Amino acid sequence: MENNGKKIIVTENVIKDYKDNNIVVKAVRGIDMTIRKGEFTAIVGPSGSGKTTFLNVISGLDTPTDGKVWLDDKLLSDMSGNELSDFRRDHIGFIFQAYNLIPVLTVEENVEYIMLLQSIPKRERHQRVVEILKEIGMEGMEKRFPPKISGGQQQRVAIARAMASRPELILADEPTANLDQQTGAELLDMMRELNRKTGMTFLFSTHDRMVMERADRVITLKDGKVEKDERKTEN
Amino acid sequence: MMWFDLKLAWRNILRNKRRTIIAGLAIGVGLAAMIFTDALMIGMKDNMIKSATESFLGEGQIHRQGFRLTQEVEKTINNLEWIVAHLEKEEALERFTLRTATFGMITSPANVSSVMLYGIRPSTEKYLSQIDDVIEKGDYFKGDGEREIVIGSDLAELLEVGIGDRTVITVTQAYSGDLVQEMFRVSGIYRFNVKEMDTGMAFVRLSKAQKMLGIGKDVHEIALKFKDIRFASKKGNLFWAEYRLHDNEAVSWIELMPQLQAMLGMFWISLLVMGIILFGIVAFGIVNTLFMSLYERMFEFGVIRAIGTRPSGVRRLILFEAGALSVLSIALGIIVGFIITLIFVKVGIDYRGIEIAGTSIHEMLYPVIHIQQYFIYPISVFVFTLLIGLYPATVASKMQISGALRKSL
Repeated sequence: MENNGKKIIVTENVIKDYKDNNIVVKAVRGIDMTIRKGEFTAIVGPSGSGKTTFLNVISGLDTPTDGKVWLDDKLLSDMSGNELSDFRRDHIGFIFQAYNLIPVLTVEENVEYIMLLQSIPKRERHQRVVEILKEIGMEGMEKRFPPKISGGQQQRVAIARAMASRPELILADEPTANLDQQTGAELLDMMRELNRKTGMTFLFSTHDRMVMERADRVITLKDGKVEKDERKTEN
Repeated sequence: MMWFDLKLAWRNILRNKRRTIIAGLAIGVGLAAMIFTDALMIGMKDNMIKSATESFLGEGQIHRQGFRLTQEVEKTINNLEWIVAHLEKEEALERFTLRTATFGMITSPANVSSVMLYGIRPSTEKYLSQIDDVIEKGDYFKGDGEREIVIGSDLAELLEVGIGDRTVITVTQAYSGDLVQEMFRVSGIYRFNVKEMDTGMAFVRLSKAQKMLGIGKDVHEIALKFKDIRFASKKGNLFWAEYRLHDNEAVSWIELMPQLQAMLGMFWISLLVMGIILFGIVAFGIVNTLFMSLYERMFEFGVIRAIGTRPSGVRRLILFEAGALSVLSIALGIIVGFIITLIFVKVGIDYRGIEIAGTSIHEMLYPVIHIQQYFIYPISVFVFTLLIGLYPATVASKMQISGALRKSL
């Protein structure tokens, strides 16, 4: 079913080349894409198809060699370094394959960190941390450090961190790759539920069939180009 | 945010304890070495000034203008009575003594040598110089005889004379220029362990010297000792101006022993050089530790940049880590520095008998603890650490986020 919501990501002929040992690698070769608010989209494709590079480019973590990226109607190339940082802070949540929590911060501090960047008052931060950790089933683990909890729990905390700033868009790069099937499925269901409840837009880069099954749109990349863009119809 | 960053920095510093301990030890030991060296230098400076001024020189002297340059016998101090009367009333002054000083020839049956012949008042001289303390043979003007002479050990060896042996002194009389010879018996032989003093000086009673030189009751030199030596070395001290009247000159030990002042200046230069070397080691330690930590945690910095931390926030975080490392190291350095200095303050360092810049060290050398050592050097290390930390901080803040995130895979 076509989503007629607000366009949250628009890319126009995005190209990204990079040098690897003096060899120019064409990672992304002209992608035009529109992602609308509330979509639960999976970008799939074999290794080297440009999924992660494309995600990095549309989130402003990397600059495109050519082409344009609009995020929430703002052209990324018009933003300064600090504006990009602030934009990511306020509008994008990140979930990484290796969880990437800060190991010296407790579970609650990891979630709280981004809210500190947003200068949210202490009381509100605390309230949000409690709510989010409850939502993702991490109550009672607030004071634990990441190395002391399981991979699945770490990824839950990573999801909580991504949600803490209340972004419109969550970018998840292979979020289930390091998890067993059951944990991965649980987390995906949780994210799907969050998507439905909050209207947050989720964009995955993945190999995982479970993600594809749950996504309402699957974009297949091959050799840095969009090969297929399929939307599922709701039953 | 600041408080949170500080907490994060502390935890990161304590994350790799072994590395932090090694880096902290390098910085701390460097700081301890600075603190100890400073204390030692102050101790050595005080010791050398004390040795120089207490050996014979005094903390200041009064002469007729030009006497120090020409050593002419006629150049006796003007208005001596007025000066003595005023010196007796000087509150800052502890003691003073009168001297004559002239070149002469000392002859024994075996040899002959030129000497600086001093006429002294043994009763007051003993408070100004240490001749009486370093008598090796015989005694220090114990009897009343006018013909007693006290000479240095090297001179006695040269002349091949011992206690009770006869020597002849030849000097030029003032005004007439006539040569005068007098026989003296060696009553004391001293050893300062300073070549110039042990070879080239001889002491007779003031009254006898005045008679030989034909200068009546006049003298060439008044040696001064103050209640506090700092009074003598204070710049712009009016004391010296007051006694420069009547064509006389009044000078402190700084002008009398410029070589000592220059030597002390060199001490501080060597301390500075040592400081630069130590700070270089400290810098290397900090940069190495911070870069190791930075590359090890590249993905973390990638993450915090990705989620919206500005480059300045990353810089601040690294600087806080540098500051935290510095605070730990400073605490260690202060403790180690204090303990080492305290040990040597108690036991001292034996440099006795060594001659530096014409000054013989007579007493044990004790480092001097000054409160500034525990402020200036630690603050310098802290500021320096932050400055050095700017380099890795800048590198971290300029990293490519996507590249840093790949480090986690």
